[in-house]
Amino acid sequence: MAAANQDTTRPQNTRAIMAFLREHAPFSNMDDTHLAHFAEHATLRFYGDGEEVLSPDDGVVKSFYVVKQGRIRGERHNEKDDRAETTFEISRGECFPLAALIGERPTRTLHRASGDTFCLSIEQKAFITLFSESEPFRDFCLRGVSSLLDQVNQRIQSKAMASIGASSSLDTPLERYALRNPIVCTPDLPVRKAVARMHENNVGSIIITDDNRHPTGIFTLRDLRTLIAEEKGTLDTPIQQVMTPNPCRLTATADAFEAAMLMAEHHFAHLCVVDDEDRLIGVVSERDLFSLQRVDLVNLARTIGTATHLRTLVSLRSDVSRLVDTMLAHGADSGQVVKIITTLNDVTVRRVLELNLKKDDPGIPFTWLTFGSEGRQEQTLLTDQDNGILFETPEGMTEDQVREKLLPFARKVNDELAECGFTLCKGNIMASNPKLCLSNNEWDDWFVRFIDASTPQNLVYSSIFLDMRAVFGPNEALQRLLEKVLVRIRKNALFQKMLAGNALQRKPPLTMFRNFRYLNDEKKHALDLKRQGLAPFVESVRVFALANGVGAANTLERIDELARKDVFDTKDANAWKEAYSLIQAIRMRAHQDMLAKNEELTNYIDPDDLNPLDRRILRESFRQAQRLQQKLEITYQL
Amino acid sequence: MLEYIKQWLAQRRGGSVGDLDADNLPTPKTAGDQPLSRCRLIVLDLETTGLNASKDEVIAIGAVAIEGGVIHLDDQFDLILRRPELDIRETVLIHGIGPEALTQGHETEDALLHLLDWMNGDPILAYHSAFDQKFLEKTLKAQLGYTLPHLWMDVAELLPAIFPKAETKGKSLDHWADFFGLEVSERHHAAADAMVTAELTLIALSTARRSGVKTLKDVTEKLHYQRRLQNMHRF
Repeated sequence: MAAANQDTTRPQNTRAIMAFLREHAPFSNMDDTHLAHFAEHATLRFYGDGEEVLSPDDGVVKSFYVVKQGRIRGERHNEKDDRAETTFEISRGECFPLAALIGERPTRTLHRASGDTFCLSIEQKAFITLFSESEPFRDFCLRGVSSLLDQVNQRIQSKAMASIGASSSLDTPLERYALRNPIVCTPDLPVRKAVARMHENNVGSIIITDDNRHPTGIFTLRDLRTLIAEEKGTLDTPIQQVMTPNPCRLTATADAFEAAMLMAEHHFAHLCVVDDEDRLIGVVSERDLFSLQRVDLVNLARTIGTATHLRTLVSLRSDVSRLVDTMLAHGADSGQVVKIITTLNDVTVRRVLELNLKKDDPGIPFTWLTFGSEGRQEQTLLTDQDNGILFETPEGMTEDQVREKLLPFARKVNDELAECGFTLCKGNIMASNPKLCLSNNEWDDWFVRFIDASTPQNLVYSSIFLDMRAVFGPNEALQRLLEKVLVRIRKNALFQKMLAGNALQRKPPLTMFRNFRYLNDEKKHALDLKRQGLAPFVESVRVFALANGVGAANTLERIDELARKDVFDTKDANAWKEAYSLIQAIRMRAHQDMLAKNEELTNYIDPDDLNPLDRRILRESFRQAQRLQQKLEITYQL
Repeated sequence: MLEYIKQWLAQRRGGSVGDLDADNLPTPKTAGDQPLSRCRLIVLDLETTGLNASKDEVIAIGAVAIEGGVIHLDDQFDLILRRPELDIRETVLIHGIGPEALTQGHETEDALLHLLDWMNGDPILAYHSAFDQKFLEKTLKAQLGYTLPHLWMDVAELLPAIFPKAETKGKSLDHWADFFGLEVSERHHAAADAMVTAELTLIALSTARRSGVKTLKDVTEKLHYQRRLQNMHRF
């Protein structure tokens, strides 16, 4: 009998259940006859909100359940606090209790309905039939729920791999790229001969090495162009006079991403790859890294970094957005993408500063500080300006006199950055604000007040000023300042506790009983991915980082460092990093969609617009944020 | 399709179709002290050729059984009657059963016998049950001469009785299904409508149980009370 014909012979309700099952793993991989067996032997049960579904007291588990509508939460009693803790959540299309059923034992967790819930269930006999006859079903049951997450990960990765090719992943160690023998020469070789050697080997660069094979310089076709155009020498000049000395280098274990970032920062197209003793092993070029991706990161960074007019910089912003689009489409990890955006933003900020210094140098050295998400290197395309100035007061001048010179300059820079798409900060956290254009000592006093006499109100600014970085100018003064800040916070338990309390203000958007907790009446189905999704991670992690002397500002780096210091369990740390990155990825994809539709960028999304997989990932990620906040609550007894 | 029904009937009853004894059909039960947690309830939906019971006919019967507060999917009824002579042009757009499906349906008499046997005299719930009751009783009488009255309960009355504060956007089955976020797999398919009606019944009975409604009689009393309340509002 034909399959279609067979299907019409099944009762409507059986077909409907089969259709429901087919939407979910492992059923999506099972044969129709097995799905029909499930549907025909199933019962449908209803559980009101809070009703017990399965309890450790029920004895050996005899049924297998699938949530058809609503949610089941696993509840475990926390002895220490004498309260019930939600250990997991099972939602539409998910199965339970696998481990207990396979192990023929009672469940260890109380399963309770969370909201009005319908479950399909089959009894042991039907379960055994399916278990023995259907391979996908058996695989799924044996590997447990974790296999589902594996599947999700595999699918995401295989998609990314399919589009960029396995060899060009940004995580690939450089040794895979730099297998080619580098073309080298000695410092005394005339340029003419060096270029002939490059020509013979059809390469764009030659490395100058000493007797121990340590790279001492690099000469590229670009250098040749400059040499001729600017008449810096003849072709008989020894190459060491025209080479770029001390070429940038990385070891072979560094990955392609690091190489790309280094190139983007310094506008190089070539990097030396060396071994542990700084001996040259190979050369990696921008083209090697991005040949498959066609992502012109380095070129873009160079164009921005050498632009001579503000309007060029403004027009280049759309290229940044296009680059992000390509990277996301190629499955780049969100952590990498935000770093790229931050790098390009840094380059833009530097260039705006350089252009203004050329035009109208205030004549006083300063460090351009950046706070908040830019300080954390977590910028996306939707970004505010949060910046400030740190200066050393020249002898014979008062601080106010310095400000008189620096503030008009800062104002100009703030305005021009706004033209480049960095929105002016509504809270006036900008270098042109006299309160944020301070000398070393003034900043130090400022932080003393901030930490030692902190009020709940100025704690709101902790997310800005405690994530700080220098983008332009000398870095040493800032490092000294930061070290003092860290020591002060470590010593001040009260400040830590207030900071922790503040970090708990923003709860992940999950309700106790239902799905997503939406913002408010106006935005009925909107979630704010930044404030509700990312902020709980960023703020909780900051408290732990500052309390434990972690100097990094980047959230993922802070988590890594905290795991190394055993403040976080490694498994937890990985789960939190992953959850944070996934929310970030969903947010960035939403931004790209908004750009494509010419809409104003916001951080709001409607989870109903996401595909079921993303929705689930998002929900699980929010749950991880809740766990992190719980750790904070316990640590600071809040 | 008949093969399939025969098989499952045979499985369920340990006999084959044709063994049914028209003279020994089950007697309908009355609302007594049976605990809800144990009794079997039929939730039924009919598709008809129109709305007028005096001239329109039943063309499809869908029903599921609730037993022990659970819907058992191996205990359901999903039949299109073989009534090629019926004129269904007016309603074919609503329920999607075309003349072809009708000629492939079941011998009416046979199907109704099975239905009675399958229902086993248990109470019947339906959404706007007066409609289904009128049609089913008329058909049973005309085809089989069967006139014993089943206990009928109206889910359209049960829901507002148990959820007096529910702000549904209207009083139809769809409105209530929307209110509880239920999906109807195929609207105006008798069995699918019966299923969603049964799901609503589960929600209602589960909630009622928490406020002390324990027996079948408690439910019928609740319905009487609701009807009196309605009438009071009317005058």
